[in-house]
Amino acid sequence: MDDAQVVGLLVRRCISGDAAAWEEIVQRYHRRIYNVCYRFAGDAENAQDLTQEVFIKMYRTLNTYDSGKGAFMTWVTTITRNLLVDHFRKTKSDRVTDSLDSIPSEHEDAQPLSERIADRAPPPDASVQSRETREMVHLALQKLSPELREAVILRDLQDMDYREIATALRVPEGTVKSRINRGRAELARLLQRTYRQVI
Amino acid sequence: MPEEMKHGMACAEFDALLSDALDGGGLSSDRQEKFEAHRRVCTVCGPMFAEAQAGQQFLQTLEEVEPPAYLVHNILAATSGVESRRTVSADGRTAPLVERAREWWDSFFSPVTSFVRQPRFVMSFGMIFFSFSLALSIAGVKPADVAKVDLRPAALRHAYNDAQIKVVKFYDNIRFVYEIESKVRELKRANAPAETAPAYQQDVPKERKNNNDTSGQPDQRQDRNYSQEYNQPMLAALNGPPAVTRTTNRRLI
Ligand SMILES: [Zn+2]
Repeated sequence: MDDAQVVGLLVRRCISGDAAAWEEIVQRYHRRIYNVCYRFAGDAENAQDLTQEVFIKMYRTLNTYDSGKGAFMTWVTTITRNLLVDHFRKTKSDRVTDSLDSIPSEHEDAQPLSERIADRAPPPDASVQSRETREMVHLALQKLSPELREAVILRDLQDMDYREIATALRVPEGTVKSRINRGRAELARLLQRTYRQVI
Repeated sequence: MPEEMKHGMACAEFDALLSDALDGGGLSSDRQEKFEAHRRVCTVCGPMFAEAQAGQQFLQTLEEVEPPAYLVHNILAATSGVESRRTVSADGRTAPLVERAREWWDSFFSPVTSFVRQPRFVMSFGMIFFSFSLALSIAGVKPADVAKVDLRPAALRHAYNDAQIKVVKFYDNIRFVYEIESKVRELKRANAPAETAPAYQQDVPKERKNNNDTSGQPDQRQDRNYSQEYNQPMLAALNGPPAVTRTTNRRLI
């Protein structure tokens, strides 16, 4: 049995009321969902709540999953993504007030392109593999617009392919690619500005 | 500029190939050559390539984070309600003793305590207590009066009827207030985006049968996006209290 068949069987067992099958699904996917939520929402507490909400939603709608229409992981990602959208909308008003963060947002950007090119981001080689760098990357990720953030999370952290991402986000593949490009570039710009402040 | 060809490639085409080039999807050798040539000469696409590449490398420094050990337990408690049969976590380590103790404690009390500990329920219990004492004092019951109570049956009946009328009146007033409140809440809910409220507030398990979504898609709304809120800035504030799921009590521990 390949992975899709195993999952298909788990889903069917689960729908028929097998609690052990449900636990197996939770064990299989919670880490992945938690990571998506953590990178998107930015902190462990929200990530836990969101992961839990994803599984609650999954549990209620498991009988609507149609293996003929795509991989289970894509289905799960769609649920996760929809809840992230809700979360983003809900917390929007809180975030308007927290403009004192270390990394300036893109709206404060008055730097001409030529200047950005002049001092490019430090090369992410061995010297930037440090914990501090990872923390800064994680913080910078939070500054990306949600559309760009989710695109790079699914591509570069979850290693999903363009087609899967396009299905989960319900946008054309071309849009996915463009968001990945812009997300990566914007992240590099944000980090290069931060590095300039630090150095 | 978009139509400008540089070494046989327009900027739009370069942009479309950029992610493939960086993700190692591989371009045909002919395209690869044009792509490289365009990158070297174009003052827009060249820097864009460098930035996207740097961003990708930055992202690759991020490692997978470890979910908390009690997360699976919490998920199961909030969904199937069936305890995990595993005492060993997925990566083979046993959960720390403190965590297991807390899980055990939670499993005993979570249905009650997590309910009681939620701020809005604490408020409700406070209100119930308050309105009871208020009702009693309106009804004329004071601790100091207890000694002086007339215990003759007729007097008791009279006092009882008297008190009952006052209490009924008081509760009629309270009910009126609650009715207004719930109407206001209904109005808010009618205005708020439809999906938010019911999704979180229903009790979760055993509802699968009620769901008539059979499309195989987790959600019917095709147009879910992050920017929708800009069209309805006021409604966002009317979404009601933040969703509190049943096992979020760790915040208060
Ligand atoms: Zn160009």
